[in-house]
Parts: sequence; structure tokens; C-alpha cells
Amino acid sequence: MSNPAKRKDVMAATQDLRRRTLAHIPQPLERLIYLSSTRDYNTGLYRHEGLALRFSEEASCEALADCHRDAFNELVAASLQDLVHQLKRYADNSKASLSEFIGAWRELEPYRVAIPAGADSLSSELLLSNLKIALAILETRLMAPWVGKPSASPRPSLVR
Amino acid sequence: MTALIIYLLIGAGLFLFLLVMARRKNTPVEGCGEEFVQARHALRALQLGLLPANLVERIFDRGDFEYVTAESSREICKLFLAERKRISLIWVGRVRGEIRNLMHFHLGYSRFQSKLSLRTELRLALDFVLLLFACRTLQLWLYLRGPYSAPAMVGIAAGAAARVCRISEQSLAFLNPVASDSFQNDSTTGGAAV
Repeated sequence: MSNPAKRKDVMAATQDLRRRTLAHIPQPLERLIYLSSTRDYNTGLYRHEGLALRFSEEASCEALADCHRDAFNELVAASLQDLVHQLKRYADNSKASLSEFIGAWRELEPYRVAIPAGADSLSSELLLSNLKIALAILETRLMAPWVGKPSASPRPSLVR
Repeated sequence: MTALIIYLLIGAGLFLFLLVMARRKNTPVEGCGEEFVQARHALRALQLGLLPANLVERIFDRGDFEYVTAESSREICKLFLAERKRISLIWVGRVRGEIRNLMHFHLGYSRFQSKLSLRTELRLALDFVLLLFACRTLQLWLYLRGPYSAPAMVGIAAGAAARVCRISEQSLAFLNPVASDSFQNDSTTGGAAV
């Protein structure tokens, strides 16, 4: 989409998407998962009925793709501590229990399909690696809830 | 009859020789599009994918390590260090690969066509050699001592690679100014200028 008028359309669609939808999804991880879920795996095209009605199929697709890339970049730039926090919040907001969530995410690795097309392979590797470690940290916390919480008394050691 | 066969064999031999010469990759040819595109890809990969300061900082950020050490078990620390070592080795390996691509382009094509001064040429040659050496040393260091063992060397390698990219950018602009202008026009729609 190199035509300036069309580009304007995409920018308007992006602003609309940010204001109406993404403003209610504050965490980049949640945004990444949500936006990747709007992508058709067979075609790689993004679909959003409301946005396509207000603008055009093409503009809505590009707006969703742009926001998907932004969420990905934000998440790549996040510290591990922040990522653990985001993952915990995402798990808490899901219907599953934390143990079910961690089990499913470790086994199925659903986050792998959330990477936007054309993302740099190193950035993708870094994010996938950080998510793997964040899941391991959450799992440790689940098994030993005292780990990672500030305490005046000495913690029991996990390593024997 | 024998003479005819000999002439045909000589003809076939000459034809094959010409074919081989035409297919030689390192022959400097005016307007060699494929090499130009490859060099541009290498430059883009370095500038947009490998050398952005926030990505390099994130990979080698000690804050993550301190967080994991303070918050998790020894097993997770080991997992974290192994993962960061893997990522840092991918990073340095890819930087080295793209720098080699750029060097190949400069050796084979750019110096015949671009208008870099002799001083810049020499500086670039020295930068390439030092950078490849630094990358190899860094690779070895990261492999043996882990991702947080040589922060200064990471900074030096990233800085030198950025300098080489800047000079290569000039060189690519001289190669094909019309194409370069069109790329810059494209970049106004969201991409980065190369």
C-alpha cells in the first residue's frame, strides 16, 4: 500500500483500533495474543469485522498488522521481570488455573504462532527464549510460593 | 572428418569457457543488481535487525541476570544463562555473517564503482578485518565464559559494525543513486532509510 491516500486510511484505521480496542488491553503480551488471533493462519491476513466495515478490508488488515508488530517490538524490549509480571497477569485473567495454564503453554507453546510475519529471527528467538524462562520462573513460584516474595526470614532453599 | 571433429571440440571448449567466465561470481560487472540487493539486505539486517541499541542492550542486559539470580532457583539460573548464551552466540554469528557479506560486496563490486576516497577505503578495509577478528574473538569468549563476560567487547563490536554500516551506506548510494532515492522515498511510508 504505497498510495498516500490509502496510507492515510491505514493510519486512521490504526488510530481507531488503538483508541477503541487496544486501549482496553494495556499489556503488550495480551495485545500480541489478541492481535495474532485476528490473523488467518491459512492466508496470513488479519481480519476484524468492525474495523473493515468502518474502513476497508485492506486498511484494517494493515492496521492490525502494524499494531501486531508494535506489540511484538514492545514485548521484545521488555525486561524479564516485566515479562514474568505480564505472563502472570495474563494467566490470572485466563479461565484456566495457573498450573493448567503453565502446563499447556509449556507443552503446546502457543506463543510461537503469535510472532508477526517478517519479524527479525533474532528478536523472535529472544522473545521465545524469554517466555520459556518466564514460564519456568512462574512454575517455580507455583511449586514454591515463597520464592520471589520479599521476606524478613530466610527462605528455605530449593536446591539441596 | 577428423579435422571437423577437432574444430567442433575446440568450439565446444570455447563455448564452455565463455559460459564459466560469464557465471563467475566475483567478476565486477556494471550494475550488478543481485550483489547490490544482497549488500542492501545485509545492511538492512545489520541496521534494523542486529544493531539497534535496545536489542543489544536487552540481550546483554545484566539486570535480567540479577533478577533471575535473586528470584529463582539455581536450575532456572542455569537455564537462563544457557538461553542467553545461545542468543548471544546467534547475535554475534549473524553480525559476523552480514559483515562478511558486506565485505564481499566491497571487495568484488563497490570499489570499482563507488567514489570512496583512498583514506576511507583503507579505513573500511581495516575496520572489516578488525571487526571480523573481534567477532570471532567475541564468539569464542561468549562460548567459553558466557553472555556477561565481555560487555566492553560487545560495545566495541557493535560500534565498529555501525561504523562499517555507515560507510557501506555511502558506498551503496554511490553505486546506484536513482535506486537509492527511490528507497528513501519508500521509507517515508514507515520503513527505514538505507
